[in-house]
Amino acid sequence: MARMNINFKNRVAVIGAGLTLFRRRMYETSRELAWEAAKQALDSAGLTLNDIDAVVFGSAPDAFDGIHMQGEHMTDAAGGYMKPYTRVYVGGGTGVFTAIAGWWHVASGLFDRVLVVAEEKMSPVRPHPQFVFHHIFDPVMDKPLGVNLIWIFALEMARYMYKYNIKKEDIALVSVKNKRNALDHPAAQVAAEITVDDVLNSETLVWPVQRLDISPVSDGAAAIVLCNEEYAKQYTDTPVWIEGVGWSLDTTYWTNRDLAFPKYLYYAGKMAYKMAGIDNPRKEIDVAEVYDPFDYKELHHMEGLQLARKGEAPILTREGVTQRDGDLPINPSGGLLGVGNPIAAAGLMKVAEIFWQLRKEAGKRQVAKDPVTGLAQAWGDLMQIGTVVIMRV
Amino acid sequence: MSVWDVFNGKTRFLEDNMNVDKFVYTLGHGYEKFFNGLKEGKIIASKCSECGVTYLPPRIYCEECLSEITEFVEIKQNGVVLGYTIQNVDKDGRHLKEKVIWALIGFNGVRGGIFHKLVGVEPEEIYVGMPVKPVFREERKGSINDIQYFTKTV
Ligand SMILES: [Zn+2]
Repeated sequence: MARMNINFKNRVAVIGAGLTLFRRRMYETSRELAWEAAKQALDSAGLTLNDIDAVVFGSAPDAFDGIHMQGEHMTDAAGGYMKPYTRVYVGGGTGVFTAIAGWWHVASGLFDRVLVVAEEKMSPVRPHPQFVFHHIFDPVMDKPLGVNLIWIFALEMARYMYKYNIKKEDIALVSVKNKRNALDHPAAQVAAEITVDDVLNSETLVWPVQRLDISPVSDGAAAIVLCNEEYAKQYTDTPVWIEGVGWSLDTTYWTNRDLAFPKYLYYAGKMAYKMAGIDNPRKEIDVAEVYDPFDYKELHHMEGLQLARKGEAPILTREGVTQRDGDLPINPSGGLLGVGNPIAAAGLMKVAEIFWQLRKEAGKRQVAKDPVTGLAQAWGDLMQIGTVVIMRV
Repeated sequence: MSVWDVFNGKTRFLEDNMNVDKFVYTLGHGYEKFFNGLKEGKIIASKCSECGVTYLPPRIYCEECLSEITEFVEIKQNGVVLGYTIQNVDKDGRHLKEKVIWALIGFNGVRGGIFHKLVGVEPEEIYVGMPVKPVFREERKGSINDIQYFTKTV
């Protein structure tokens, strides 16, 4: 099977999904969290571990939960005991990338049925996960400045606001929307009914980034079950097909990037759209979960994905287009800003949300329109990778 | 935090550290049962009701079938040496005055075991299959060191 730009053997379906609570601190160990999500995903697909041929696991920096080589630590919990097992890692992009890696396990024809698990436990590290982020930077160029992760976001946000003349009030609308959407999510950590003023009056951390512009640090896990077409027809009447995948990395020299436009995502999106046969993303994508660790990033990412023209995402947001009952619902789950941000698990949560939305199993979170095609996206490494999955029923 | 080293008038390297203070590891639901058992002088395992496997240390899920495990059982403390090694140097490379014997202890009908120190046994007399038992400390606080060591069963 060839789809213009990529060769593969099998069409791949998502047939089950599972998710733990997202919380600031969970008592469950990393393994116990991963198991809970994995088991839920299997149960929801009506499969047992015997039916699984291979396991793909994803988590972000080991230094959060303080276990080096966390991949091997998690094997039994993720269902990987005595099975072909792979851990993938691309920082914040990991959650969606884990789904992509699961996809190629099946699409290649190497395996028929694959369990995909992503987990993050950020709470063990003291004094704060921020101290881990400090060490992802260049050790001699950036670290001696005492660089903090939020600096990158602050620079991007300021540049984005300057280039397209965007008001902070319009960006704050994203935080208001996502935290409200999360009120309907049973796993949500920071769901709330807040106002634009609440965001604008929250503490300024690194200008223009304020407290309520940011998602929290979290513990949690997510999982999905993938299989090929033959098995999908056997297991379910409502498979959700992965129709496109894409990923791309910008330069690791963060000083050398276009801060106003996420090029990494433009290329990742282009790859996925071409594969899925999508010419006009704005018209053809019915619902999207874009990566929103910060409110401005939802807008940034909508533009990178061509779901809005450059500088247009804040206008669509203001007009209500991105609400659940809008023409292009964005982050109906509540996203990272509302549900929480256990890094790798948050990305796979987005894939799971699109699965539930396309199956119309999202309950109170179900978007008003009848969605056929959905997109999930994450962003990571040194804020330079875009990872995209397009799904269709 | 950092020191610039000047070498022949040239800057050559930079020292730094991954300055994370510490990690706080939760025991979770499985290990909690194990460590609280040690506190009471017991060895606790967990048993899968689906496939019957008994796990040590206890887990709340089964690696064979991924079922939830809710049954926690106290096991008999008499075990056997499955394998052992004799430590001559410490981690800094210094020779030890007294050699330390480390052994993997297995228990009948249990998947897994306990890795611990073996005391009161001469290196020459130890063998695979040797029956051993744990010696608990008087004061216990819920740690793997609540077991002071294993020794031969007399
Ligand atoms: Zn079992």
